[in-house]
Amino acid sequence: FLGAGGGNDIQWCFSQVKGAVDDDVAEADIISTVEFNHSGELLATGDKGGRVVIFQQEQENKTQSHSRGEYNVYSTFQSHEPEFDYLKSLEIEEKINKIRWLPQKNAAQFLLSTNDKTIKLWKISERDKRPEGYNLKEEDGRYRDPTTVTTLRVPVFRPMDLMVEASPRRIFANAHTYHINSISINSDYETYLSADDLRINLWHLEITDRSFNIVDIKPANMEELTEVITAAEFHPNSCNTFVYSSSKGTIRLCDMRASALCDRHSKLFEEPEDPSNRSFFSEIISSISDVKFSHSGRYMMTRDYLSVKIWDLNMENRPVETYQVHEYLRSKLCSLYENDCIFDKFECCWNGSDRQNCNFLPSPLCSIVMTGSYNNFFRMFDRNTKRDITLEASRENNKPRTVLKPRKVCASGKRKKDEISVDSLDFNKKILHTAWHPKENIIAVATTNNLYIFQDKMN
Amino acid sequence: MLGRGLKRKLSDYEENMAGLSSAFDSSRSLPYLLRRQLVLNMCLTKLQTYKMLVEPNLHRSVLIANTVRQIQEEMRQEGTQQPIGVCPGITPGSHSYAGMESSVISLQLPSGISQQESNCCDLGSVEDPIENSLLIVSDDDMSSAISSILKDLDFVEDISPPTCLVPAGDDQPKFPESTSLKLEDDRQDLKGAECVFGSFEISNSTSYLKDLAIDDIFEDIDTSMYDSDFCCPPLMPRPPSLAAEEPLKTFPSCNSSSASNIQICRTDLSELDHIMEILVGS
Repeated sequence: FLGAGGGNDIQWCFSQVKGAVDDDVAEADIISTVEFNHSGELLATGDKGGRVVIFQQEQENKTQSHSRGEYNVYSTFQSHEPEFDYLKSLEIEEKINKIRWLPQKNAAQFLLSTNDKTIKLWKISERDKRPEGYNLKEEDGRYRDPTTVTTLRVPVFRPMDLMVEASPRRIFANAHTYHINSISINSDYETYLSADDLRINLWHLEITDRSFNIVDIKPANMEELTEVITAAEFHPNSCNTFVYSSSKGTIRLCDMRASALCDRHSKLFEEPEDPSNRSFFSEIISSISDVKFSHSGRYMMTRDYLSVKIWDLNMENRPVETYQVHEYLRSKLCSLYENDCIFDKFECCWNGSDRQNCNFLPSPLCSIVMTGSYNNFFRMFDRNTKRDITLEASRENNKPRTVLKPRKVCASGKRKKDEISVDSLDFNKKILHTAWHPKENIIAVATTNNLYIFQDKMN
Repeated sequence: MLGRGLKRKLSDYEENMAGLSSAFDSSRSLPYLLRRQLVLNMCLTKLQTYKMLVEPNLHRSVLIANTVRQIQEEMRQEGTQQPIGVCPGITPGSHSYAGMESSVISLQLPSGISQQESNCCDLGSVEDPIENSLLIVSDDDMSSAISSILKDLDFVEDISPPTCLVPAGDDQPKFPESTSLKLEDDRQDLKGAECVFGSFEISNSTSYLKDLAIDDIFEDIDTSMYDSDFCCPPLMPRPPSLAAEEPLKTFPSCNSSSASNIQICRTDLSELDHIMEILVGS
């Protein structure tokens, strides 16, 4: 997996980078979410300024068979605006926390985008024709004097320059007291859930004035609060099943058929603490920042501060696999606590589900997991070979078709050439959001304000 | 607090904190209790900062509050196991806590004093009553600090009517405010000896406190913003007048030995500087 060859190993090459070149990052440009749609043709990003930018993959160029289509801007729109809650004197941030695509049913594309309080369903549609030849209207829209009309004609559609329009079709508001951290579309494609720190609500995509509360962990007395919800997701196949993770490192699986309010979990996934690793920060670093089901739904992956864990849904008492993302940070926890980096919420993702990933060996569909780290590093773990790789998203590596060089962090002792020592890591350069194309070996990696696209070097 | 009203620069504070946390991370020889104290102080500082925000982050607040509770529980268990109160590995007069002095944030909580008083009386036979009184964890103090933050979050965030009428973000109601001001005055009277008495910072590795010349160390910490903070009126166990008298009762030996304490302070300062240098790696 280190790019040295072998039929299964993926060799990642730089493909594109989007975003401003300056070192001075505009706050509004900070990327806050990245998501491919179901076909992989579209790639959406949300930012702190409340904007959504959608990139579209160009149709593959038949003559250039060595590379897949590039992603270019398809649509940009302002999804959320900053709001002021007058009742509580609070400003509601417009930052887009999550984007989730609906599967495509007709010519238009639909996505859900959410900030801290409000979820919106956006319709993105193309217009490449327009009607011309009205009888009563001029081409510029002015009305004709009817007395001047001497003949009648049938208006016809004529081609025009492609216009991509985004319009908000539904606004799901006023259902969350606390900050929304997750949205997840159900496999029935009719309902979806939204989760905040203490509650999870179930919505129907057509109905905006009502939602069902399905999880509520708010204690009667807030002083007794010790745990919050950090992420939630529907099972990819069972429309009655969902999971939610907590700040204490637990995952609860709930069945909506059991009761209207799913306060009692069906399963509780929790790994007992390793006493040798105990520290004052044990609980903080156990807080789960992301949970993702595998495509089959048999496994789920969780990300906490230092590791990625794979859980078998049939085994609650410990994960089946654990991968250390940046174990060298364990001895730096106090400093990371002091500068608040310990609260960074890293996401994780599975590779695409298509079997193209592995040519020679039969393998589980979801065999590689990816997550971000600091210094603009990101990590991949191959579950089959147990090998891992660290790569960097940086403009210095921006030669297309050149294989990315693996990076290595030197935890202690003598630093070898090309290694970087822990103390030299830039903790302001963090990769929190990554996404993997659902069908191909193309990945999108977001640094603070840039979006990098890498792809497999095709032979 | 006995500051002279000079504001400590945030950047200085941050530098000191950064120095201390790297000391924590890099030095294995830092005693456990010192590290715990450092973490506790950082937690309390963060909670304090969040309290001043219009909308604190619930996730972070809960995590930090849990860390404080965990340390509190540990201290409580140590307190019950070792009534004498001298923590293992710590000898009075040891200087390894010098680094703590710049990170101590004192937060007033009048309600905890009663507990300190009752515990102190049991330790009358111990050499250093000041140290031991400060060894006692005032659970109520920490609990009420966490409570007040979480309660504020509730009021700020949720539509349901709050059980405690503490307006979020406003100044504290007059009742506890007058109490804490009164405490401040009393403390000024006792300043030679008990140092950071009566404030919220919990220290059971405390010999450094008596070693320091308080005026010098704390002169640039502006604690005026902490003075009327962290109160929880429903939890007030006693009327304010009694609470104000507690300081006098709690440290009967303070006044008489204040002179000798100051003497100890001065001689240890140079050693203190030395330790500080090591810790911040200058």
